[in-house]
Amino acid sequence: MDINRREFLKISFVAGTGLIVAIYLDGCTPSPTPTVAPTSKAPTLVPTPTTDPTPMAEPLATISPNVFVTIREDGLVTITQHRSELGQGVRTALPMILADELGADWNMVRVEQALADKKYGAQDTGGSRSVDSCYGSLRMAGAVTRQLLVNAAAQTWNLPASDCYAENSLVIHRPTGKQLPFGDLVIPASSLPVPSSDEVKLKDPAEFKIIGTRVGRVDNPEIVTGKALYGMDVSLPGMLYATVVYCPVFGGKVASYDDSLTRQVRGVRQVVPITGGIAIVADGTWQAMQGKAALRVEWDSGKNATINSADVEQVLRKQVMQSTSAEGELAQFYTFSYFAHATMETMNCTVDIRPDGCDLWVPTQDSQRVLSNASSLLKRSSSNIKVHVPLVGGAFGRRLEDGYAGLPPSADYVRQALEIAKVVGAPIHMVWTRQDDFEHDLFHPMTITRVRARLDDISSLSMQTFNALAPIPLGYWRGVANPQDAFARESFLDEFAVATGVDPVELRRSYHDQRSQAVVDKVAEMSGWGSPMPAGSARGLAHFATWSQTDVAQVAEVIINKNEIHVTRVYCAVDCGLTINPDMVAGQIESGIAFGLTAALKEAMDFENGTPMRTNFSDYPILRFDEMPQVEVQIIPSTQHPTGIGEMSNPVISPAVANAVFALTGQRLRKLPLRLSED
Amino acid sequence: MAQFTLSVNGKSQSVEADPNMPLLWVLREKLGLTGTKYACAEGDCGNCLVLVDDQAVRSCVTAISSVVGKAIITIEGLSTDGSHPLQLAWEAENVAQCGYCQPGQIMAAAALLKQTPSPSDEQINLAMADVLCRCGTYQRIKKAIQRVVTDGGL
Repeated sequence: MDINRREFLKISFVAGTGLIVAIYLDGCTPSPTPTVAPTSKAPTLVPTPTTDPTPMAEPLATISPNVFVTIREDGLVTITQHRSELGQGVRTALPMILADELGADWNMVRVEQALADKKYGAQDTGGSRSVDSCYGSLRMAGAVTRQLLVNAAAQTWNLPASDCYAENSLVIHRPTGKQLPFGDLVIPASSLPVPSSDEVKLKDPAEFKIIGTRVGRVDNPEIVTGKALYGMDVSLPGMLYATVVYCPVFGGKVASYDDSLTRQVRGVRQVVPITGGIAIVADGTWQAMQGKAALRVEWDSGKNATINSADVEQVLRKQVMQSTSAEGELAQFYTFSYFAHATMETMNCTVDIRPDGCDLWVPTQDSQRVLSNASSLLKRSSSNIKVHVPLVGGAFGRRLEDGYAGLPPSADYVRQALEIAKVVGAPIHMVWTRQDDFEHDLFHPMTITRVRARLDDISSLSMQTFNALAPIPLGYWRGVANPQDAFARESFLDEFAVATGVDPVELRRSYHDQRSQAVVDKVAEMSGWGSPMPAGSARGLAHFATWSQTDVAQVAEVIINKNEIHVTRVYCAVDCGLTINPDMVAGQIESGIAFGLTAALKEAMDFENGTPMRTNFSDYPILRFDEMPQVEVQIIPSTQHPTGIGEMSNPVISPAVANAVFALTGQRLRKLPLRLSED
Repeated sequence: MAQFTLSVNGKSQSVEADPNMPLLWVLREKLGLTGTKYACAEGDCGNCLVLVDDQAVRSCVTAISSVVGKAIITIEGLSTDGSHPLQLAWEAENVAQCGYCQPGQIMAAAALLKQTPSPSDEQINLAMADVLCRCGTYQRIKKAIQRVVTDGGL
């Protein structure tokens, strides 16, 4: 059977439309009458059409020994991936773990996205924990399935199971070389008990065939052809389009509004008051946005209308100044600013509420919380509601609090879509404008971190972080508190090294454990640390282990041009334990550097009169193509339990750059974004 | 409202729309070509980039009335099976992360290579500088473009 990977992926994305499934079935042997009960209906990424133009005559038999894997009698292995794909690569990495332990041929694996359902365990996707926390359970799910197939083959051959093993989607009898493909074992396995976890043996990691290899992102074929389905792309029969209007001052309310001009906009259907704001419902997204632009609103800005971020910083600074430093001690403080998430895909939500059920398509990091929140808002059992998670066009923590009861209504796009759909009585596709996305973000807080250490003992280093208490809506931002901790500590270590005349690499030797120092030594070696740099350039070093998980050390090389900092090259050494997919680990390092450099070199979010002052990429610029440094990554080989990668790189780059700027200019920049003095 | 006949991916398409409606929304919501992405609506990010007569055009700030009689190519028009050299290179370099901006990136690269089959580093930087990627996949985008050039171009 020769089924190529591209066909599988197509099936995965168009399942339900019938056509490609039919083409695919043409290439297969006719299926026998199924003797196995089909598994529960597979979740798909696309809305199920009402009619199937080419229904399958005879569904193929399948077995599903657990919720994560289904094997079909033509050999197709479907792995249900239950976390949210945000770009970090879980839809590739998690199935790799299961497929490897199963002994599957990766080319015969397809990946399906799970609906929100407790049966998968936790589905919230944050804290860089997906691989770390699912590694064991997904290996076990693969191992149990492998053992079931091995048992089925052994029974078919009447030979001992202990002489059989699985590889490349075959069960092989070691002494004779007899083999049976997984697909042929589906029917025999269906009458056998699923082995319990204590009856199976996990692979020796030395036998891994998929883990540790450069497997391409499973969604690549759909992404590069424009077929990948994001929340923004969901379309349902009879669907109407909506956008929302909220007070730009956080916590502000609608005092009154005049929608007479809005109602004259062609294509606008309804203007709907919702909790705290107003929704415009139209025949298209653009028409809704035109209607929004025409709406005249009087705001009750409320008590937050006097909040300015410059004042917030002054208050914070006063607090910090009250803590005094002692004799023989080095003490400094470092300021981290308000930052926006600025995901490329703005917040959106598509809702279809019917008497018999409800479907939501939400680009979210926490599908189960969306489910429970929808259940309480709609007063329906969660078994009546399906939450589909499409590909997510960037998240970085913004989409982790979806469905959180404490969210301001202005920030809660799931509630907004549900409220609109309830009033309108049609499927609703609700999209935020870019301005909404900046104005109603949940921002990284402004913090000042004070670091101190006795000059005779670096291990006396202590840190205290002061958080701004202003009522600006705050949320998780890639790395959460680690970016400010890393910026403060790693800048301080550099200052300490200068103050005590010790090389920064050597200083860390008395500060770090062995694993951390190994990445520092590796990056020193990669970067030629200590060797002379060309005139006008310098390098800086930083290291951090976000949530004490993954050790990342970086050396940044900088130049100054027209009083602006340019980062030309970054070396990075990383120890993330056992590496699942080295190319995607390198990708996350590159990604974190770009994200961290946006905070280090571009703009922070300023607030004036309670309003975010930057509302598009023209005034909240993100790192551009021509500003991306050359990044070189080396991964420390390891057989330790795998740790996360998504938030491990961005905390490290800003102190590495600040330290390089000091080496080059003598200016110690202790506030992000980094700004050189004018003269 | 008015009737417009557009040439999209080599097909003639008849669309009824407001003359000011941006091409972006015509493609996405009237023609179902959702590969072209909404992100800023001000021409700042390039996620909505398409080819109009082989030029890179930001469809979010391009009125439908201005593209009548011109050849519009979207990501779906490069190939539907991923066989276009840029699509193959994007897969080979494993460029995408969240993937949202990548159709715009690929179309910007297509416009570049149509006009400049062997671009210098500087020309690549210039052509790609205004297409934003929040995941920071730029290094791989550059490698993918260079791969296409090395492998014989478009």
